[in-house]
Amino acid sequence: MATALQACLLLGVFIPLASFVFLAFFGSKLGGAARRHEHAHHENSHGHAEHGHPAAAAPGEPLAGWVATAAIAASLILALIATFIWAGGDGESRRAWSEQAAHGAALWTNLGSVPIHFGVNLDSLTVITFLMVTICSTCIHVFSVGYMAGDPRFARFFCFLSLFCFSMLGLVIARSLLFLFIFWELVGVCSYFLIGFWFEKKSASNAAIKAFVVNRVGDFGFVIGLGLCLVYLGTLSLDSAPAVFEAGARAAGWSSTELSAAAAAVPAEQAAHAARLFTTLLWGVPLATWLGIGLFCGAIGKSAQFPLQVWLPDAMEGPTPVSALIHAATMVAAGVYLVARVFLLLTPGAQMFIAVVGCITLTMAALIAIVQTDIKRVLAYSTLSQLGYMVFGLGVGAWVGALYHLLTHAFFKALLFLGSGQVIAGCHHEQDLRKMGGLASKMPNTAIAFLIAVLAISGAGLPWLNVGLGGYFSKDEILAVAFYRHFNADKPAAEHAAGERAAGDVAALGSGVPVLLAANESAHAAQSHGDDPQAGHAAARPAPHAAPPVSRVPAALFWLPIVIAYVTPFYMGRCFILAFLGRPRDEHIHAHARETPIMYRPLLVLAGLTVVSSIPVFLFRPFVAHAAPGHAPLVPAISGDDHALHAAHQWLPAIVGFAWVVGLGSAWLLYRNGLALAERIRRAPVVHLLHHVLWNKFYFDHVYGFVLVGGTKVVAVICRLFDNWVIDGVINNAAYVFERLARFSGVVLDNRGVDGAVNGLGGGLWSLGGLLRRFQTGLARNYILLAALGVCALVVAVLSGGQASWALALFVAAAAALLTPWEQVRRGLMGER
Amino acid sequence: MFDIGLTHYLVVSIVVFCLGVAVMATKRNAIGILLGAELVLNAAALNFVAFGRYRVPGLDGQLAAVFVIVLAAAETALALAIFLNFYANHATIDVDQGASLKG
Repeated sequence: MATALQACLLLGVFIPLASFVFLAFFGSKLGGAARRHEHAHHENSHGHAEHGHPAAAAPGEPLAGWVATAAIAASLILALIATFIWAGGDGESRRAWSEQAAHGAALWTNLGSVPIHFGVNLDSLTVITFLMVTICSTCIHVFSVGYMAGDPRFARFFCFLSLFCFSMLGLVIARSLLFLFIFWELVGVCSYFLIGFWFEKKSASNAAIKAFVVNRVGDFGFVIGLGLCLVYLGTLSLDSAPAVFEAGARAAGWSSTELSAAAAAVPAEQAAHAARLFTTLLWGVPLATWLGIGLFCGAIGKSAQFPLQVWLPDAMEGPTPVSALIHAATMVAAGVYLVARVFLLLTPGAQMFIAVVGCITLTMAALIAIVQTDIKRVLAYSTLSQLGYMVFGLGVGAWVGALYHLLTHAFFKALLFLGSGQVIAGCHHEQDLRKMGGLASKMPNTAIAFLIAVLAISGAGLPWLNVGLGGYFSKDEILAVAFYRHFNADKPAAEHAAGERAAGDVAALGSGVPVLLAANESAHAAQSHGDDPQAGHAAARPAPHAAPPVSRVPAALFWLPIVIAYVTPFYMGRCFILAFLGRPRDEHIHAHARETPIMYRPLLVLAGLTVVSSIPVFLFRPFVAHAAPGHAPLVPAISGDDHALHAAHQWLPAIVGFAWVVGLGSAWLLYRNGLALAERIRRAPVVHLLHHVLWNKFYFDHVYGFVLVGGTKVVAVICRLFDNWVIDGVINNAAYVFERLARFSGVVLDNRGVDGAVNGLGGGLWSLGGLLRRFQTGLARNYILLAALGVCALVVAVLSGGQASWALALFVAAAAALLTPWEQVRRGLMGER
Repeated sequence: MFDIGLTHYLVVSIVVFCLGVAVMATKRNAIGILLGAELVLNAAALNFVAFGRYRVPGLDGQLAAVFVIVLAAAETALALAIFLNFYANHATIDVDQGASLKG
């Protein structure tokens, strides 16, 4: 069974890859021939399909789309099979399958002494997330075939979509953090390609670059987290890292809970090494916390959390199916998925950081969403806000709630985006809510599906009856855990004081995050430092705990999400009412609006799935709950089923149970007659100011533009001056010196010295030859005379006792005197010729 | 009167040798040069005979002198043949005309 499960999941991952490769090479050759003039026409209109001319067929259309769809549908079928197998197993057999899968992992490489395995991380979360991704992807593929009709790069779109599916599914099944990171970057690059799909539009290519660059900032933190993991834990595997981490925490005296079996099996040496994570401080914060924050930084980038949220709204420049698939349902949720996967590597400090970031994001994004007028941007900010909820949920320990929200959100947000895609496509690519209105009569199916999604995101439900849609259960669970951690976190007496102090500091300091972390760590330090940590613990708590101490979260972290639970239905209701209800505000658009079956049918499927995923006892939530970390030694993982949450479940419906009624109702009151009333309110003095702040998204883009882009420009100018003056100066002067040296070497040394020596030698020999030539007069008499002279010289030499030099000198002198052309010399002296 | 000794012969030989050399160095006529060469050879032969008579016992000196005379005859024959060829090429036996080996 384990083999079958692995085979299903791995095949499911690689089929889209095959589709990608196929489409990359043959995509544009599929289907009908391209029509050149149509092609040119579409280039001019930025590739938007002209719905007035449905006959236009781009290369590869529609066959390329169906190839990609078939691939992801095959993955969906495999995912369904895997889900059925998994659902059929009881707890024991599931554990056995997971272990078998762990043993089946193939060694890919060794990083130093750390082995990296490629294999399927088989657990309930993997299976259910895999299912969610394939379902959403399949619906969106089908929708895209309709939406992208007539686009000149039709085949390329599906090519990228397949690559994305491969990457996202690979990310879901990765069992090593390194593989997770690789697929993480792959989905990032797909996102880049698809945001900038219509790259002729300057805003689209800019948005793509912005998304990519902002994500690099987050990934920088991710890499730091990976590095800390690698160095201190000595493993990147998602199974063994938490065990080593726990053993290290125990060795450092941080945790007093009972060790899990895996952690107990960690060698003492490795545990001692890992303990340094907890004892080494960086800026007063232990490295273990930095590890968690570092990994979370990756999630901040990918899930567009504060302060890196700026890229997601701009990513709406991509085609709407892309927004639905990548920037709402799957990829942006990957950040949450990552945090859930490394949940056991978090310290309380890191967890508090996550909660604060999530809380800021969900608040800020929801407020901005109120004033947006672009239908896709409203959805983008609502995505930010919902992701904020998930991150916040993980931050307060609502592991199950956060991931359940991830699943339900994926369905209803994909539905919302596809709905908006149908609206946009049906309205001639008009995205401005102010020009819509009354579309429900023209697009009844879309309107119904959209309404279901709006109700789901609003958390519509009937309290105490246990009936509700989507967010009603998932968001509720997150809020319940926050409620519990704010009101009835029961702490052992020994920690109470420290916890109180930390909470007090937090409240006093607002959201100064580093200080807040320090406060939290100090709480921990106070807890673990006694005379002797072990003895201290033994005194305070005679018996080991099964669960970590649960500290109290500050009031803001409870009340802000509650307030935003009221804001969410308001802005979603506003969006729905402005688009579908009321009188049409632009007659022309309204007259031509229509919906297409290929687009609205996937909507209806997703609407059905939204309803199905809302059933808390069916499939989705049980799977997530099954995957929850049962043993979390440092940070609490609290499930909504927990007994301790009884009070929360009693009180929460009263606090927030009817938020959807209030929110949707107020939206109805404000917008049922169009924008006039809202416009009047907007003009009011204080509201006007507020609107300005929200309209400019809290000035984040301005500040980043000024500080980061402007700062970079200033640095660039300084660099340019440095380059022009210092570096160029050095280079130019050096070049001048070398030029002079070369000139000296060439002209003086080479031309005069070396050449002079060589030529001089040659010339000298030439002259010598000329001199010796004179002896060769060709006259026999001269030769005889010379021979006689030679004899005379010999005689002289013999007679002078062997002093031959005299004889030689005599001989040469006589020969020279004899042979000098005296006549010529005379002529030369007299100046004759 | 004084006895005629080796020295006298050698002096005569030197004089003859020098005359021969001088003739060779100054005559432009090829036959003249040949005559000079004969003088030099005869000076040498005279030396051989003189040394054979006064210094080396036996007939070695005379033998060498006979060799020199035979050599001189052979040499003359060879030289005359060269001169004939020279004349055939240059229509003269003035050796200064044969300066084509001039460097």
